Amino acid sequence: MVHSGLRVVTALAAAGALLSACGGTGSPGASASKTIKVGLVTDIGGLNDKSFNHLAYVGLQKAKSDFGVQGDVTESHSGDDYVPNLTNYASKKYDLVIGVGFLMQQAVGTVSGQFPSVHFAIIDGAGTDANGTDLKHSNVESLFFKEQDAGALVGVISGVLEKDGATPKKSHKIGAVGGVSIPPVNHYIAGYKWAAKMEDPSVKVFVGYSNNFTDPAKCAGVASSQISQGADVLFQVAGGCGLGVLQSAGQAHVYSIGVDADQKDADASVIASALKRVDVATYDAIKGVKDGTFQGGALTFSLQNDGVGYQADNLQLPSDVMTAVQDVSAKIKSGALTPPADIPDPTVP
Amino acid sequence: MAASSTAAAGRPAPPLAASLRRAGRAVAVPAGSVVFAFLMGAVIVAVTGGNPFAAYQALICGGFGLLCSGGENAGLQVSNTIVFLTPLIMAGVAVALPFRAGLFNIGAEGQLIVGAIACTTVGIHFAAAPAPVLLPAVLLAGMAAGAAWAGIVGVLKALTGAHEVVTTIMLNYIAQWLLRFLIIGGPLQLHNGFSVSSPIGAGAHLSTLLPHDDKLIVFGLPASVYRVHVGLLIALLAAGTYAFLLWRSSFGYEVRAVGQSQKAARYAGMSVRRTIILTMLISGAFAGLAGAVQIAAVDHNLTDKYFSDTTGFDAIAVALLGLGTATGIVFAAILFGALHGGGAVMQSDAGISGNLVYVLQALILFSIAANFLRTLKLRLPAVGRAAGTPAAEAPAGALAGESATALADDEGLA
Amino acid sequence: MTVLSDIGHLLLTADLWHAALAAAVLLLLPALGGVISERSGVVNIAMEGMMLTGAFFAVAADLILHDPWLSALVAMVAGGLMALIHAVVSIRFRADQIVSGIAINIFATGITVFLINRFYGLQDVGHLPPSELLPNLQIPLLDQIPFLGRVLFQQNVIVYVALILLLLVHVLLFRTRLGLRIRAVGEHPEAADTAGINVYRLRYGAVISSGLLSGLSGAFLAIGISNTFVPNMTDGRGYIALAAMIFGKWTPFGAFIACLIFGLGQAIYDNNSIIHVSQYLLSMLPYILTLVVLAGVVGRSQPPAADGIPYAPGTE
Repeated sequence: MVHSGLRVVTALAAAGALLSACGGTGSPGASASKTIKVGLVTDIGGLNDKSFNHLAYVGLQKAKSDFGVQGDVTESHSGDDYVPNLTNYASKKYDLVIGVGFLMQQAVGTVSGQFPSVHFAIIDGAGTDANGTDLKHSNVESLFFKEQDAGALVGVISGVLEKDGATPKKSHKIGAVGGVSIPPVNHYIAGYKWAAKMEDPSVKVFVGYSNNFTDPAKCAGVASSQISQGADVLFQVAGGCGLGVLQSAGQAHVYSIGVDADQKDADASVIASALKRVDVATYDAIKGVKDGTFQGGALTFSLQNDGVGYQADNLQLPSDVMTAVQDVSAKIKSGALTPPADIPDPTVP
Repeated sequence: MAASSTAAAGRPAPPLAASLRRAGRAVAVPAGSVVFAFLMGAVIVAVTGGNPFAAYQALICGGFGLLCSGGENAGLQVSNTIVFLTPLIMAGVAVALPFRAGLFNIGAEGQLIVGAIACTTVGIHFAAAPAPVLLPAVLLAGMAAGAAWAGIVGVLKALTGAHEVVTTIMLNYIAQWLLRFLIIGGPLQLHNGFSVSSPIGAGAHLSTLLPHDDKLIVFGLPASVYRVHVGLLIALLAAGTYAFLLWRSSFGYEVRAVGQSQKAARYAGMSVRRTIILTMLISGAFAGLAGAVQIAAVDHNLTDKYFSDTTGFDAIAVALLGLGTATGIVFAAILFGALHGGGAVMQSDAGISGNLVYVLQALILFSIAANFLRTLKLRLPAVGRAAGTPAAEAPAGALAGESATALADDEGLA
Repeated sequence: MTVLSDIGHLLLTADLWHAALAAAVLLLLPALGGVISERSGVVNIAMEGMMLTGAFFAVAADLILHDPWLSALVAMVAGGLMALIHAVVSIRFRADQIVSGIAINIFATGITVFLINRFYGLQDVGHLPPSELLPNLQIPLLDQIPFLGRVLFQQNVIVYVALILLLLVHVLLFRTRLGLRIRAVGEHPEAADTAGINVYRLRYGAVISSGLLSGLSGAFLAIGISNTFVPNMTDGRGYIALAAMIFGKWTPFGAFIACLIFGLGQAIYDNNSIIHVSQYLLSMLPYILTLVVLAGVVGRSQPPAADGIPYAPGTE
């Protein structure tokens, strides 16, 4: 399920190994003198969330084996755990404390202010105050992802397939199932809807939410409803819950699209996956601390820097689809096209 | 607890040896149950290839700041545990009071959520108000909202007989959805793209014991990391109020009478309906207070975390483990708070899944339920249950003297 | 008003009722288990935990055995073993049955994730291919009936099993000697004991049955509707089943009606992509409806007289 993520990591790791080899000849004592300690704090999804917590862990594991850093993990069981879990690592003078998830913004903002000498990184957010304002602490690296770029690419795939009449029902209707209506989820859906409509203006895009990230049956229900409405390509943006979308699509013999990691193996209906390289971001953040190149501030992972992307899966995509994807991809990278961060026309399918 | 000592003083003083024996027995059995649970947990860790000693060392470190080996700050661990246990006391009382009346309040969670919502709403709307006005206002708003939420349960139960287990579960879900409605795209949302509310005014902040200062160093860490707050005192006050209400007030007498036998209570001239409604109102106020204190002292705004919060459910275990007595609830909350804090350290230091904590909690409950309650034949009155156990088999004494009085009263009733 | 017309329109579609029935069955199985257990006099709020355990072991077994039927059986046994703990603690040791039930639920939450961490590392639990899942079963001919065919005869195999079990449990409880005995034990254990009925054995059987049924529901969730285990995937269904059981006044068909209300609410909610109202308010619908129906129509729910009271011969 994380094949492509791993592949990217491997490539990066090779580069990293090269770099550290070069650096190693320059200052041999630097890395040997002290083991870098990294603490990873998950959000309530936990490590087995089949989503970004898991990917962050994959990145940490990779860094452990590549750099010999000490990497420890704490799963948060409730929202009350974020501050204490982050504080625990910071108070033990860990070199880098990573918070996974949008929901930890305020916690990271608070704790990073208390421990200015500890590095922090946060996936999908910044260290904020209670007003949601980025506190811009110099010891915090905010790792944002342009999910809309990845959403747009799989949206192009869906749109062109619909335009070509190459989908199972030729219905010009597609769907997206979100976990909860929060920015990281809606970004994906925004890009998806925008791009699908761009390729096939007649396409209808149903957007539904399961309000859940852990229960596949809930997402299967929302997916079934969209299939009843005629949707024949379904994009899941709901972590572990969304596996139900993929499976519903499989049972109804329509197409589905995975999210975050390559979900090819989750179901035969998965024609592509939108990738969000949380593992790479995590790995890079650790590498930055190790190399002394850590920089506070916002870091955006987009199509341009390969921080998001897509992966073709269980369907041989027609050549015009590939052409369109490459075209849009190039335009997004060049800035000629900018996928929206908010879902366009939210009340119109 | 003050009430319990006066209650004890009100009766002829038992011989010292007897009361020592009684106290020893009261403490020995729950302590034994905890030990038993930890032994079983150790077996589970060992069988699955972990090191139980390392696991427990980290657990104790995280819970109580003792035996730390990973460089943890003892003060920080104790402080975290206290922050965790504070709402458990209030919510625990909110579950325990209805238990005494034979009502099973699974709805403390929903009542806590609406308490948090009301506290936040008032705290935002009157953000500019001065603290002496605003702080009491937000706490009272939380209590009122919790009381109203639980009041629905009480009224439906009293008037239509609608079972409180169903209504509380329904109201939990409704409260959760109300929360999401308000903070995601709804009237309380901070601004687009956030799943949190605006922060409450500074006047609504319940102060921490140490100043909220990142620069002041206390025990080697910035003072602001120690989040112990005045809410702890409020929680203890709530527990004391509960004990007083239950043992020293005529209302408490009615609650216990209704819990033992509604029929008998009715014959004795009590209004069962009135007692049920009042019980739920007060219970909801305690749970609402837990939510309000959490907002006023810790969070300062309403976040999506309340959607998946489990304090109200943990409180059921705390109330049961504490045998429904104020002292017992406080001790049970300490244990659960310490386990909560310890789980995280156990995972980071010993690499043992923090979920072992749930296994331990369950084992403690099992062993308490299976041995302690059986041995002492002291059962909480529950739904539809007939009158208490025969006097001959009911030795006095639970965790505190109050249970002894309870039994005495109960026997008088039966 | 468009909301009402949206929903009204949906109610005329077979797909909606199809989804509602499947969602209801997930709740019906544990609710039936609860009915049997409580009819015998043992309070059971542990369906959530037994269901979660069943879901976990269904997936764990299927990954090894590659056989959904055997795996469903393993899930039932796992649910049954959890129930056995509840039975031993509350019947043999005469413990407080609510404490024991709560403990089961907490235990299941902890042990499932603990076991994942131990046996699958911090990696994903694997996915199962469609051939290793509990299959959908189209009943020949009947599935062609307009509307009803879609609703009733194009379901997962467990849906049919559950509907048959609904009938069986009803007949068992109210039309057989065994059922009479179970109810007698739940109402007047002393009298039943005097009449030569083995109170303990019946209660053990009833509680274990509740575990088997809840475990089966967990299997349906994990290897029928879904194809993997996700921590906490039961998401409170055991508690909804508990509410359904009480709502239905401890009768199988009463519980089924309540399950249908929740199933229908879920199915309507699932259409939130085409209903023009806040999805959050839409989510409240089944719960508000239940409150209203409970208060207005159903009224007092009286549990079996001896429900929750451990039986100790000779003490009463």
